[in-house]
Amino acid sequence: MSTPAADPGVEQVLSDPATSYWLKAALRESIERDPVDALNDALALAGVLEERLRQVMRLDDPI
Amino acid sequence: MADSDEPRESPGRRGELNSRRGGQLLIGRLKDHGAANYQFRAKEDPSYFVKVLTSRGERILWGKDLRRALTEGETRPKVGDLVGARRIAREAVTVTARERDAEGRVIRQEERHAHRTRWVVEKVGFFAERARMARRLRDEQADLRESVRAHPELKSTFLSVRAAEEFAAQRIANPEDRDRFLELVKGAMSASIHKGEPLPSTSLRERPAERPSSATAGNPKREDPVR
Repeated sequence: MSTPAADPGVEQVLSDPATSYWLKAALRESIERDPVDALNDALALAGVLEERLRQVMRLDDPI
Repeated sequence: MADSDEPRESPGRRGELNSRRGGQLLIGRLKDHGAANYQFRAKEDPSYFVKVLTSRGERILWGKDLRRALTEGETRPKVGDLVGARRIAREAVTVTARERDAEGRVIRQEERHAHRTRWVVEKVGFFAERARMARRLRDEQADLRESVRAHPELKSTFLSVRAAEEFAAQRIANPEDRDRFLELVKGAMSASIHKGEPLPSTSLRERPAERPSSATAGNPKREDPVR
């Protein structure tokens, strides 16, 4: 679908030594997908992970 | 998504912020912050913005207190950190509304009463720690010494609760009223800690010099709560 070199944002993330291996791998895989599907899934993943963070850290427990 | 929440906020956004979860604590990656005219409009008053990338998109919070929250907070988050932002209070303030001409000169001004939101913006771990502290305070079975050992920063809070218990024992005769009073005190303190408000600092009064008792003579530096 797209190559890392075609998008400076992608290239920047992939070349950043601070970027995790997981994110680099996920990004490489995602840019081969349909961009709408990839972003939809990424937003869903972010939402699920935020919910998990709130539960694990018990940030929203009633007092 | 960019939006604002102070001082003029749409009812929909406020409703979202005040919902059970998101309203209590907005979580996201700190992207940017700084001084700017409200909503980046030249004719608006100076304000302060915090840009956060959340799982639902970008959010921009506005409020003069955000500068204090970021620079004087406990964790002082930097751009790139995962942060939480929470409103903890609304304070009554007097603001000066200025009307300007085409050249930007003030042609009329008047003072108005308004509310300023007080914020807590910290790294997300801060809120997890505060939630733990709040639960600890609420745990009536928790042993006081063990609790203070685990969370020495809560010492003043535990002392305040102890003071409330003594007050209740002396002044409130009805046991049900006494329990209700203590429940309210603990609930208020626990909620305050959970929200991220500064922890209370109770200073201990100097005790008059007295001969060391046999219980303390061997451990003169002991600092367990004594009230």
